Amino acid sequence: MKNLISLCLLLSSLLWLGCEEIPPEINPRMGGENPIEVTPVDSQQRQVLIEEFTGVRCVNCPAGSAAIEGLLADYGQRLVAISIHAGSFAPPYPDSEDFRTDEGTNLLSYLGAPLGYPTAVVNRKKFEGEFDLQLGRTQWPGFIVDELGSPPKVKIDIQNAYSDEDRRLEVKVTLYVEENIAEDEVHISVAITENDIQELQLTPSSGTPDPNYKHKHVLRDMLTTYNGDRIDEDLTAGAVIEKNYTMTLPTGWVAENCEVVAFVNLDGDNKEVLQAHQAGVTE
Amino acid sequence: MKNLKALLYCFIILACALPAAAQESDGGRISGNLETNANFFIRDSLIGAANTPQYDRQLYGADAWLNLSYSNWGFDFGLRFDLFNNSNLLNPTDSYTDEGIGRWYIHKSIQKLDISVGYLYDQIGSGIIFRAFEERPLLIDNALFGARLGYEILPDWKIKAFTGRQKQQFDVYGTVIKGISIDGYLSGGEGANWAIAPGFGAVNRTLDDASMNSVVATINTYIKEEAFVPKYNTYAFSVFNTLTAGNFTWYVEGAYKSKDNLNDPFGELTINDSTVIGDRLFLASGSVVYSSLSYANKGLGITLEGKRTENFDFRTRPQEQLNRGLINFLPPMARVNTYRLNARYNAATQTLGEQAFQADIRYNYKRKLGFNVNFSNINTLDKENSLLYREVYTEVSYKHKRTWTLLGGVQVQRYNQEVFEFKPDAPIVETTIPYFDFLYKFDRKKSIRFEGQYMATGKDEKGVKHDYGNWLFGLVEFSIAPHWTFTVSDMYNADPGKNSPVDADTGEKLRLHYPRFDVFYTYRANRFSLSYIKQVEGVVCTGGICRLEPAFSGVKFTANSNF
Repeated sequence: MKNLISLCLLLSSLLWLGCEEIPPEINPRMGGENPIEVTPVDSQQRQVLIEEFTGVRCVNCPAGSAAIEGLLADYGQRLVAISIHAGSFAPPYPDSEDFRTDEGTNLLSYLGAPLGYPTAVVNRKKFEGEFDLQLGRTQWPGFIVDELGSPPKVKIDIQNAYSDEDRRLEVKVTLYVEENIAEDEVHISVAITENDIQELQLTPSSGTPDPNYKHKHVLRDMLTTYNGDRIDEDLTAGAVIEKNYTMTLPTGWVAENCEVVAFVNLDGDNKEVLQAHQAGVTE
Repeated sequence: MKNLKALLYCFIILACALPAAAQESDGGRISGNLETNANFFIRDSLIGAANTPQYDRQLYGADAWLNLSYSNWGFDFGLRFDLFNNSNLLNPTDSYTDEGIGRWYIHKSIQKLDISVGYLYDQIGSGIIFRAFEERPLLIDNALFGARLGYEILPDWKIKAFTGRQKQQFDVYGTVIKGISIDGYLSGGEGANWAIAPGFGAVNRTLDDASMNSVVATINTYIKEEAFVPKYNTYAFSVFNTLTAGNFTWYVEGAYKSKDNLNDPFGELTINDSTVIGDRLFLASGSVVYSSLSYANKGLGITLEGKRTENFDFRTRPQEQLNRGLINFLPPMARVNTYRLNARYNAATQTLGEQAFQADIRYNYKRKLGFNVNFSNINTLDKENSLLYREVYTEVSYKHKRTWTLLGGVQVQRYNQEVFEFKPDAPIVETTIPYFDFLYKFDRKKSIRFEGQYMATGKDEKGVKHDYGNWLFGLVEFSIAPHWTFTVSDMYNADPGKNSPVDADTGEKLRLHYPRFDVFYTYRANRFSLSYIKQVEGVVCTGGICRLEPAFSGVKFTANSNF
């Protein structure tokens, strides 16, 4: 029996021997280093798209939205956010605005439903070791950092012309190809988002929805199909491709709060986003 | 990895081909089992069975597992083929398609040494610090892909050590898990009426760089006061013992886990100067104390159980949520109910903190009259000590010769829906469920069984019934032994509650029926079932692990075979 006890102690001490580890370095709240202002397209760096799936009846989603605001404060223009109201938590309350769009519903189906909320897809990439494209809140910052590390294969410029009189919006998206893009299915997606929409939202603080909640980056519509329009032009380094879109903004949208989001994405098994960019409708 | 699989595959086929003429030859033996589920999805927006790829466009889904085991030359080989086609098991609201070798293993005993490699299922003690297991209804497959050595150091004393990585569908996680345990047995010798089975275990989990980088990136978004330095290595230790003395059996286990990177889904975090409630990573050590005392004598059986859990969420990496990436298993502390309405509200184990106890008393009089009373109570561990779950279950059964059996009782529950289902401000759901089960045997082959339950729920301060309100359930089952069983059942939302579906036109709560028809056919080791099902959303638990399942509408076919 004594031998046995000694053996136990020896074996457990073996496990403990390695318990002195060199810890990783942490830098809490590292914001401020990245540009908030729009940078000219020639000095544009890698910009990452985060698509948050949410709903007005999703109690945990405001925490996810707040986390995205925190990340935007850190990364500024280098992070582009879209909040897509789709799925089982998205049906509106009676007499509240329906944020659901056909494109959003199609995107949820296209990118796959999450196991739980809050959830977001970062650059539509299936990262190594993940089950699918949908990522829990504690995973977003790491993958955003990973994605920001590589140079952009294509740079995007957006020029908007908006008329207050007839609410007509003209969008010119110019792609500057930096590296040869060999994939067959390369698409361009253009979306309109709106910020600061005051509308009901379920929050953890109450069983009744908060009427003063301000929704950010709400996907309003897309100027392309939900998975983007195929780019048929040559995508070799140095190519410049121009795409033009027009739409009339519905009266309910506040033009000053709307953004045009454009991104180049692959289609097929690999749906990765190569670069994203956004510009205010009235800028 | 793929090459290794292919090689092994060939090896196993070769091994299996050798005794192909018979299932047993030259000491070799092959055995196996098949489990198949096929679902046909029939959209029903009213009950919420809609808006998933299966209801929208795929219409059909299937899962299958074929398990083969072969033993020869002192070796045991195992191989399992897993198939998921448009399956809703991995994520009930999404579709999952993949197939391949879900498991393989090789095992060999060389005198006192025991060697196993491959995908291994195992546990230490009751599983509090380590349990590699499979729960197919929830598609949990936490097999450890690695190696295990066992050695008999003394008669009745065995030591084992293992290392590996946890399975993640057809891949493995990056984190390495390793551990040791010693299990023993001592008795008072001949004539003595006591014995002990003590044990000790230790487990270490080392986070991989990719997972750690992700944790660091998340912590870097926290303000300084909320940030912490995460740990690559976490150690968990456990001491356990079963004492058997006369009619008493006493199991006790104490476990401690060193500082670990944990995720609190109800944590408070400061973002852009405001406080947000949601997922928050934090660093804490944890502990579990669990004990179970049983007394059994003639017709009387008494079991008392208690458990205290503090910060004992142990996962392969902190990013994993819900039932994914679990390294351990904390025993559930509430009765496992089987009747439809009695099993509607289940207490999922709270890994970050709970204190629970349970008492179960059974008495059987002359094998005719039986009584069972069960009481369980689970509270939070924080200062509020809030109620999570309470259940009183009573059961009386009477067996009249070999002709009929009547069983009935009342179950009363209190269920913290806010915590278990993340529904804010949901009141504690109160239920009272009288139930009965009557079995009548016409002859040695034919029998009929009736089952009925009524769930009466409490009302909130506005006078609205909790959750879905009151339910009525009835079932008739007709069996012709040994082959056929037919069942017809209906679950009826007799008095709808707060969360019951609403008529889109009138705004009135709907009193919906959820019918079900089953046909079971058994022929020797083969069992088939065909069912038409309408099922309300609810928490589904298997082996003490639970998840919220959406409503289901459709036809299910299952085939099971052992050979």
